[in-house]
Amino acid sequence: MTADLRRTGEPVPSATMNEYSAIARSVSVAALFDQFADGVYTLGYRILGDRHLAEDIVQETFIKVMRSLDTYRGDGPIAAWLYRIGYREAITATRRRRETPLDPDEMLAAGDHPVTSVEDAVLAAELTQRLDAAIGRLAEPLRSAFVLRDIEQLSTSEVAQSLEVSVSAVKMRLARARQALRVELKEYLA
Amino acid sequence: MTMTCDQLDTLLPEFFDGALSAEQETAAANHMATCSDCRTVVSELEGVSSLFRTQGRMKLPDDARERIKGALGLEGG
Repeated sequence: MTADLRRTGEPVPSATMNEYSAIARSVSVAALFDQFADGVYTLGYRILGDRHLAEDIVQETFIKVMRSLDTYRGDGPIAAWLYRIGYREAITATRRRRETPLDPDEMLAAGDHPVTSVEDAVLAAELTQRLDAAIGRLAEPLRSAFVLRDIEQLSTSEVAQSLEVSVSAVKMRLARARQALRVELKEYLA
Repeated sequence: MTMTCDQLDTLLPEFFDGALSAEQETAAANHMATCSDCRTVVSELEGVSSLFRTQGRMKLPDDARERIKGALGLEGG
């Protein structure tokens, strides 16, 4: 399996049980890692607000991917299957840890925004801080839907499958998230 | 054919997904041609998505990437 697995959105064609294992074997875990590690890290970080915990989420997610790839039946987008594993890991970690407020300094350090000058660095840091704070204030269900749809660019249907909710629930969460962020970040949207 | 502000508001998720019917698309375009409030709302909501699409994605740090790949036995891949 090649090319852009995340965005193709093309379900692997329906297959017989014997063909499922062939599909699974054709998907390289290394290729999946290269394609989705940053996305799982982003999702984990946006849910947990801690880069070390987000790194753990990446590792735990791909351990489960390795163990369960044979059970991936190819009847849906692989991105949704993989993000569903990552989302469950992150939510489990949240419950285990007891939720704590997001730390703006931690969030600032965790971003990866190349800059070209001191002035750019200051502006980029300020913007990053504002974006991180704004998204951090969203309730988790809104935040997860927004991250997967508008940052990771999954389709609305893929987001629904990842979060195990209905498409209409995703639409409602996206509408609320975008509206809250619009109000919060108005000065950057002129 | 046009629509009200509330009708457009209800259809915004489909609007941003490009999932409006041809009829709804025409009605939305006609409404926005005459409603500056809705034009502003749509423009700002598009701005939110664009801002996070370009600035919100994070990169797994290189040291963590190597450590995790090592733990998973994916080195050299």
